[in-house]
Amino acid sequence: MVVTRLFDGPAQVVFEAWTKPELLTRWWMPKSCGVSFVSCDADVRTGGVYRFVFSHPASAQPMAFFGRYVEVIPPSRIVWTNEESSDGAVSTVTFEGQGGQTLLVLHELYPSEQALDEAIASGSTSGAGEQFAQLDELLVVAAVS
Amino acid sequence: MTLTGIKKHVAVLEAAGLVTTEKVGRVRTCRLGQCRLEDEAAWIESYRRLWVARFDELDRIIEEWKVSQHP
Repeated sequence: MVVTRLFDGPAQVVFEAWTKPELLTRWWMPKSCGVSFVSCDADVRTGGVYRFVFSHPASAQPMAFFGRYVEVIPPSRIVWTNEESSDGAVSTVTFEGQGGQTLLVLHELYPSEQALDEAIASGSTSGAGEQFAQLDELLVVAAVS
Repeated sequence: MTLTGIKKHVAVLEAAGLVTTEKVGRVRTCRLGQCRLEDEAAWIESYRRLWVARFDELDRIIEEWKVSQHP
């Protein structure tokens, strides 16, 4: 799975928006979806870990997403694991400066065909279980409306 | 691609239900099968929408940064 986007700003700024919790929390969960950050811990360096906890009025329990940063090269590359499930995807984002703009390329690589099939079957973009599928549904509804 | 290579590719698509094939004489005709990628397409679309929504917010942060550079 690959997503690309061109941003109208330098790579350093886009990188910081991915790595500083005070900025990350402003865009990772689009406002309209009603999901809010309970906490956002991100030690963005090679070998560091992250843990994002979200809440939503429809869910009694908070939902946690967590993993570890496999490779961090400021301001051009971040690779991290998604460890909510045992066979979650490995995500890679790269930032390539292009004359004041930044080309962002995001890859998500599932460890096996089976893991991807399960992610599709659950409607999840993270390969995790039911609660994550529920969260994804909320996000999709928000994105459509 | 060689004819042998094409045969292998078609065999994989057929095994996945994406195409059906019928051989009449020397000609093998391929048609779209029963499994037509609706689930996969829906998943990809939901994924795309999530990232578009995220990146629209990220655009706002970058816009604010630009304004702060040129007050």
